[in-house]
Amino acid sequence: MPKYAMVVDQRRCVACMACVVACKKENEVPPGQFRTRVVEQVEGEFPKLRMELRSELCNHCDNPPCVYNCPTGASYKSPDGMVLLKKNRCVGCKACVASCPYDARYINEEKGFADKCTFCSQRIAEGKQPACVSTCIGKSRIFGDLEDPASAVSAALRDNHHDVLLASAGTNPRVFYIKKFGKPE
Amino acid sequence: MKFSRRTFLKASGAAGCSLAAYAALPEKFLLWAEEQGMLKASYVPTFCEICFWKCGAVAKVLNGRVVKLEGNPAHPGARGKLCARGNAGAGLLYDPNRLKTPLIRTGARGEQKYRKATWDEALDLIASKMKHIKSEFGPESVALFTHGTPTDHFLPLLSAYGSPNVGMPSFAQCRGPRDVGLELTFGEGIGSPERVDLTRSKVLVLFGSHLGENMHNSQVQDFADALAMGTKLIVVDPRFSIAAGKAHSWLPIRPATDLALMLAWIHVIIKEQLYDKAYLDAYANGFTELAAAVADCTPEWAAHETDLSAESIVETARLLGHNAPNVCLHPGRHATWYGDDVQRSRAIGILAALLGSWGREGGYFLATRTSLPKPESKPFPEPAKAPLNLGNFPFAGAEGVTQEIRRATISGTPYPIKGWIVTGTNLMKAMPNQKETIEAINKLDLLVVVDVMPTDTAMMADVILPECSYLERHDALAVGKGRSLSISLRQPVVQPLYDSKPGWWIAKQIANRLDLADYFPWQNLEEKIQAQCALWGVNYQELKKVGTITIPNSANPYITAEAPAEFKTGSGKIELYSKELKEKGFDPVPRYTRHPVPRQGEFRLVYGRSPVHTFSRTANNPELHELYPENEVWINSGKAKDLGVINGEYVVLVNQDGVRSNRIKAKVTQRIRTDCVYVVHGFGAASKSLSRAFAKGADDQGMITRYAVDPICGSTGMHVNFVRVEKEGVHA
Amino acid sequence: MEITVTGVNALVSPHLHVWDWRVSLYLFLGGLSAGLAVMTSVLHVRKGGALATGERAASTAGLLVPFILSIGMLFIFLDLERKLNVFWFYLTVQPLSPMSWGSWGLLVFYPVSILYALAAFPEERRPQLRLPVLIRLSEWLSAWRLQLAAANFGMGIFIGVYTGVLLSSFVARPLWNSAILPILFLTSALSAGAAFMIMIADQKKVKLFFTKVDIWLILAEMVMLPLFFYGQYTSSGAHRDSIMPFFTLSHDYFWYGLGLLLLVVIFPIAVVLKFLEVREDHGDELTGQELMRMNLSALMVLLGGLIIRLSFVYAGQLSRLS
Repeated sequence: MPKYAMVVDQRRCVACMACVVACKKENEVPPGQFRTRVVEQVEGEFPKLRMELRSELCNHCDNPPCVYNCPTGASYKSPDGMVLLKKNRCVGCKACVASCPYDARYINEEKGFADKCTFCSQRIAEGKQPACVSTCIGKSRIFGDLEDPASAVSAALRDNHHDVLLASAGTNPRVFYIKKFGKPE
Repeated sequence: MKFSRRTFLKASGAAGCSLAAYAALPEKFLLWAEEQGMLKASYVPTFCEICFWKCGAVAKVLNGRVVKLEGNPAHPGARGKLCARGNAGAGLLYDPNRLKTPLIRTGARGEQKYRKATWDEALDLIASKMKHIKSEFGPESVALFTHGTPTDHFLPLLSAYGSPNVGMPSFAQCRGPRDVGLELTFGEGIGSPERVDLTRSKVLVLFGSHLGENMHNSQVQDFADALAMGTKLIVVDPRFSIAAGKAHSWLPIRPATDLALMLAWIHVIIKEQLYDKAYLDAYANGFTELAAAVADCTPEWAAHETDLSAESIVETARLLGHNAPNVCLHPGRHATWYGDDVQRSRAIGILAALLGSWGREGGYFLATRTSLPKPESKPFPEPAKAPLNLGNFPFAGAEGVTQEIRRATISGTPYPIKGWIVTGTNLMKAMPNQKETIEAINKLDLLVVVDVMPTDTAMMADVILPECSYLERHDALAVGKGRSLSISLRQPVVQPLYDSKPGWWIAKQIANRLDLADYFPWQNLEEKIQAQCALWGVNYQELKKVGTITIPNSANPYITAEAPAEFKTGSGKIELYSKELKEKGFDPVPRYTRHPVPRQGEFRLVYGRSPVHTFSRTANNPELHELYPENEVWINSGKAKDLGVINGEYVVLVNQDGVRSNRIKAKVTQRIRTDCVYVVHGFGAASKSLSRAFAKGADDQGMITRYAVDPICGSTGMHVNFVRVEKEGVHA
Repeated sequence: MEITVTGVNALVSPHLHVWDWRVSLYLFLGGLSAGLAVMTSVLHVRKGGALATGERAASTAGLLVPFILSIGMLFIFLDLERKLNVFWFYLTVQPLSPMSWGSWGLLVFYPVSILYALAAFPEERRPQLRLPVLIRLSEWLSAWRLQLAAANFGMGIFIGVYTGVLLSSFVARPLWNSAILPILFLTSALSAGAAFMIMIADQKKVKLFFTKVDIWLILAEMVMLPLFFYGQYTSSGAHRDSIMPFFTLSHDYFWYGLGLLLLVVIFPIAVVLKFLEVREDHGDELTGQELMRMNLSALMVLLGGLIIRLSFVYAGQLSRLS
């Protein structure tokens, strides 16, 4: 069984937003709503500034609060590691939205269910990469199987210091960040 | 331009019954049906037209609807990826604000009042006016303003009609001075896509270019690869751009002083003998004259001019020198800044030559030598009058100087211009000083605009012709010249919506009515493309399937002992000292001149790009609009505090001539110098028919009432306007 | 620090907006019905049932429990985005989801509270039940009165706790993510139940009994609230930031400051009033003025409970881990 994960190499991200639009089109996300976003964070004072660019999405946590807090079992962790939703079970109680430390969920305005990134499971089933990864101009987003030592994600995690978002939340994310601020040493 | 629902239904009904059937099935249902295996998606390759990079794209079509666009892996400009705008291409196709039928103006110019017309009526009207202009003033009195693929259809129409007067804003309002400067130095330009060898660069310099925000697909891919490789990046920009955020050295230069920095770099590189002597001996002319000319351009002098430290200037110059020749000084793209832009481009070229990076790894690679035979066509008539689109500029390019046509239209000299055809460009937003553009338009007997969207310029036209979007039409084959030659096909992914028509059809129809049918000797463009493919030995059926066919490189991309360099300059060498310029009375070596600086309370207005928008073209695209619905004015935090402006509040810009902008949100930031403000270009649409973009944000072009014309090539420097920032409603 | 985010959902940005007054009212009314359930059980069991003798509330309070609960549940139902899927709550048990426990708990609480109301219905008033089947049921159930009282008491505590656990289980929302919250909500629920009992009781001895009970509960709340804030303040940065809306006197946080201020005023005044009531030498019949004072202090307690639910539901959504 594969163990899917994503690595975001922040050094390569140029905040071009291709991922944001590709995701919306692939997954028919309603207007005004998003499954992924790009954070542009600048610290310091002119002219001593540094910048961090970070694309964020569902972390597909191994310890997912949204799944634990779902009262109907609509949110579930699939064996390959993806946190997914059985839409027909969702009552729209919003507990998952409130429980996600990454604010990765939203209520689909057209359908009422609690929607989120699925790592484009429909594309993975076809053997493709998630839409955001496939279109990522900077090749900043890397997707693959952690169980496969030859996969791009395994290699990236082996070769680089990496972090997860809000590690202290204890959620064990499956989205890893290779982080480096603007000024290389 | 208001359509009731009833008229809308009628219009779409005219486009065919099958279309109506598609429209009735909601996209969600189609996707669901696909998931259930009831429908099979088809994938159609084409190339993108949301910007000029012309990326190969593959459209996923479900039951006649485009549901997704992806990059074509076979295309060298896309490599399987599309940017945000390319991904949002279907937003243009399905934009409800699209031009749907031909329109004929009923109100005064600029009143935006139109009535619907049939194609026959609109085309007959255009033909009769063009015939009238030809008989009364001569065919030279019709000018064409154009950009992108429509040029392939309408330039032949103009030439066949007998006019040489074409103006492409891509020259005088954009790349012109860059290309001219490099041509004067190396005998050729850098091409598009630029032949910068980023993935092998050890040092990359960006002057004002905010690559990344400037979303040029394959080049940004290379840029990211370079960053990941650890290429040292030097960014010269008054603003802490995304690229500056990645930089090893960010040089927050005082605007308009770039040339001083470049000359100081040349000075240091020569003084410290960091240049590539063997390369210069073999390939360059005029080193002695150059060294003499920059003798006084010390880092200390440049520090005073540029507001940078002398140490940082020396340090970066050494960084360049020590990594030569694997350094790339990116010549940028939109280079029309201050009116001495050819000379700035020359200075970049000279630096590149000193470092020996032209034709070397990590610098600039050489284009493929492969070429394709030109198809035979009927020769165009020789115009009776001299072209006026080159003005008095000795180095103006064949793309024409737009504002020279505008000037002649207003003055009537050397001969009157009575008709404008505008295709693929929104002149109101592309050319500086809108008052002049409007004045010129008011002198016209005929203004035809061919476009997909009701742009500001379309809303000034006498006749508006609705072109179908790039996803609904054939266009000429796109030939890309990089390391290898690529041929890409644009083909309809879906049938045209509404009563819109492809550009080739429109041009051919006008030609037919002007008795110029001989110049369009084919039934439809596909027939012409097929003939071209046959001529080039390309399998058309294969091309239809794969979208792009690449002819492998036949020349070395780098200068080697076996393949020494050739330069197509007058002397056959790199011109560090330009005799050509000297002959025409210009500085043979770039010389720095000081430009005016903003007065107390004023800021220099600089503008640039957002990665999710192309010019003013995408402001109404639903998917892109929601990411960046209106532009913001970047203002230094300290200055904002003095003005009492808080982040996110609406302000108004007032330029030196008293022109007031639409209201615009203030982005109060540490990321910009105190002497300039920055906006993203292309907002503040005046066209009421653009329901999303209308009056959103400020139109930078409206603030650009002054422009500094480069005497060498006629390009318009547009970073020369000064604005005050006022709180909204203060002096309303 | 300058942060620009492209692609945010209004539901979670600039802060969470998932729950509003409907959920606050649900938590308050759920708590009130739970507290009232506990207090009716007490009323009938305490002093061998002597308190309930001849007491109007002995019949009404029990019936009010499911009634108030229903109103509360109506509000939570209104909050669901996909109401037709509500049956899914009862086709699964999710051991880690408080909302799942709650929905099953409510499924038990409902019949227990109704059965108990019938079982505890005083014999002399049974004709008021009108329907013969109800009267017969009441007679039959009265044998199980004590067992049902225990069940009702237990379920009341469970539901009272649940309304707090519902919020406290979210690691993402530091204001809620405190173990004190369920206890605070339970105490508040019990206190509201006692206050409600005071208002609906018609006998002096019953009113005074629940006044005494309420004094202890209010005092407990008065200890727990500062402890809660202290605990948050001394915890992680995110926890400390989470209580700031209550202590930042600014335009943006006006209502939170006001809410806390009201709580600081209401609870002591209510306690003082109740102390005075308990210590006063009342005549056989309570005077109008005495009644008004009692009702006023009870109302203040209910209001305090409502303020707690409203301010915690809203302020919790302002808090975040990052």
